[in-house]
Amino acid sequence: MAALAAPWTTIANAQSERLRIGLTHVMLADQAAFLSHWAEYLSARLKTAVAFVARDDYQPLHDMLNSGQIDALWTCGYPYVRWQSQLRLLAVPVYQGAPTYQSYLIRSKGDSTIRGWSDVRGKVFAYSDPLSNSGWLVAQGQLAEAGIGPHDFKRTFFAHGHRNVAEAVAARLAQAGSIDGYVWETMRKQGMSAALQTEVVWKSRFHGFPPIVSVLGPSSLKLDQLQDTLLAMAQDKVGRELLRTLNLDGFIAGSPAVFDSIRQLARSVPASGVGP
Amino acid sequence: MLDRLPYRVQIPLGLSVAVVIAALLVTAVAARISARSARQGTLATVERAVVLLAAQSRPLLLADDTWRVFTLLRDTAALLPGTQAGHTRAAILDTEGQVFAASDPSHLETGRLVLGDELHGRPLPKPARIASRVLLARSDEGVTLIEPIRSEDGQGQGFVFVDIDGVVFAPAWAALSQPALFGSLLAVIVLVPAGWWIGRRMTRPVASLARFIERIGREDPAVLHAEVPRMADPELGRIAGAVDRLIGEMHDRQRAEHRALSSERMAAVGRLTAAVAHEINNPLGGLLNAAQTLRLHGANERARTQTLSLIERGLKQIRTTVAALVPQLRIEDRPLEENDLADVVTLVLSVALRRGIDLRSHSEVVAPLRVPSTVMRQVMLNLLINAVKAAGDKGWVEAGLTADAHAVRFIVANSGERLDKEALESRVTAESGNDPDGFGLWVCRELATQFSGGFTVVQSDRAATELLFWIPNRERHEIAAVD
Repeated sequence: MAALAAPWTTIANAQSERLRIGLTHVMLADQAAFLSHWAEYLSARLKTAVAFVARDDYQPLHDMLNSGQIDALWTCGYPYVRWQSQLRLLAVPVYQGAPTYQSYLIRSKGDSTIRGWSDVRGKVFAYSDPLSNSGWLVAQGQLAEAGIGPHDFKRTFFAHGHRNVAEAVAARLAQAGSIDGYVWETMRKQGMSAALQTEVVWKSRFHGFPPIVSVLGPSSLKLDQLQDTLLAMAQDKVGRELLRTLNLDGFIAGSPAVFDSIRQLARSVPASGVGP
Repeated sequence: MLDRLPYRVQIPLGLSVAVVIAALLVTAVAARISARSARQGTLATVERAVVLLAAQSRPLLLADDTWRVFTLLRDTAALLPGTQAGHTRAAILDTEGQVFAASDPSHLETGRLVLGDELHGRPLPKPARIASRVLLARSDEGVTLIEPIRSEDGQGQGFVFVDIDGVVFAPAWAALSQPALFGSLLAVIVLVPAGWWIGRRMTRPVASLARFIERIGREDPAVLHAEVPRMADPELGRIAGAVDRLIGEMHDRQRAEHRALSSERMAAVGRLTAAVAHEINNPLGGLLNAAQTLRLHGANERARTQTLSLIERGLKQIRTTVAALVPQLRIEDRPLEENDLADVVTLVLSVALRRGIDLRSHSEVVAPLRVPSTVMRQVMLNLLINAVKAAGDKGWVEAGLTADAHAVRFIVANSGERLDKEALESRVTAESGNDPDGFGLWVCRELATQFSGGFTVVQSDRAATELLFWIPNRERHEIAAVD
């Protein structure tokens, strides 16, 4: 994962300004080769060098975005609605025909002691990220409904990524975890053992898919070009191949309304930082 | 069985066995040392890993980051021996002694109380009692290691816990023995032909010497003496030298035997001549007396007839005696008659009278006599002449001939010097050693032996010497085994 901290660059035009895009492992694993290809693809179309900057958690990426260290960020719906007033929505991925996804409650395969949210009381529970909708916010809503407070667990911890949640539950470091359904399904599709050794206990309603955002500000040509390029990826062969690897259909411009369900959920969770 | 094999097989076989035994012994010793070193090495590795875990987990414990502690354990545990096979477990415990994260959560569940609880049937110390590293030996040779994690200012933050099963420390005998077996195999492959060649080279002079020794006794020592193999090896040289000396001694002894045989032949001729002379001389005195009697009383018909008859029987005895001594002459012998005793007494009588000896004889024959007359006459004449000689002047000699169905016995007693059994044996032995004076005793012993009879001294209070000669009373006497 440390390797992902290094930027992947393609020198398409050494004179032009570099475009830096931040992301977490909200998508798939540390696939350096894939990110390199995607950066090459974007660089070729934007006529500028594109680099991806990866971090484990959303918070440092948002700090980098706010401080101008990165130009765009593939974040989660929950931080988007939390800081919506400061962010520009560039694109929303389309997964299985819609810009939405689900949150899953998973358990170790064969562990019949957990059949729903009420069964996680007294257990070791894994979250993904404190700024993750599917990996924290959805769980908080469900736990509140089940009447389970933070001290009713044996232990809880953040696994710094959805994939790590699956691995923690598969290794029985945690007995259950809250995970991004898109990530879990894609891991399962790719035959990853962590997904195969876990099973889904519960699925949430559909929420807006983690979007790509930038800081809200004056119009930026390179960000406009980035948005256009992302929205047009499904229209060329290389773009489709990259999307296929991402297990996505494409990108749409989207709108804040896509994230209404998350906004609504965040408002119901006192510690979410989203006011009514 | 091994010692029955030839040296060219024994030597490579012995070398191979020695190499295999040495390899096995070296392997066993090396395995012990290796097992001890491996244990120490494993413990050293574990201790280094524990130090690493303590240092790396300290900030993660402060951040309460279970996932990163887990990944740290998962990555570090790969350095610990036995982790892959599930024989080693590592964990970071919180200050309460509960599992914060473990390398294998399925065995050390998150949140499980470890310190102060039982593990493998033994209670572990409580957190408050662990001030420094604790190394606990398990009954299965495994170990449990607990290392406190402290902040720089000494505040306890948790513990590193490593539990290793005994099987991790067990020597890998198969892996250890493989080089030894391979080495032994190589050694055998090299040593068998080398040993065969060396054995053949070593045994070649021995075989040559053995073949030479086999010729001893079959070939002329003089020829062998000239062909003794020359050995370069000092030990074989000593053997060859000894064989050479042996052949020389054999040669000398053979020559000595030839000389002895020649001397013995000459002695035998002498003894034969003496015997002939003795046996002819004995009746000769009687015959001369008979001739004198014939000259004086030949006019008397009866006396002449008796004397001539006596002379005839005496001459026949001489002829039969000569025939007995010279086997080529075969002359029919008649059976003994009771009158033969009187003849013999008559032949000896003149000598006895001259010495004033009282010569008495008697016979007691209760069964037909079947023994040859010549033998018994020769014996009786010899014994009587000896007795007359031994009786001394004015002494007495008494002869008795008895016969029954089983044996014919002739007993002669005299008043002379006592002759006991040992003295008789000595005289008989002396007779065989060319002593013509008592030749008759030796002849008697020889005849007794030839006719399966006996010749011995009889214990007697009456006579100084009483000799008994007996042979079985049968017509045909099997000659006993006499060379």
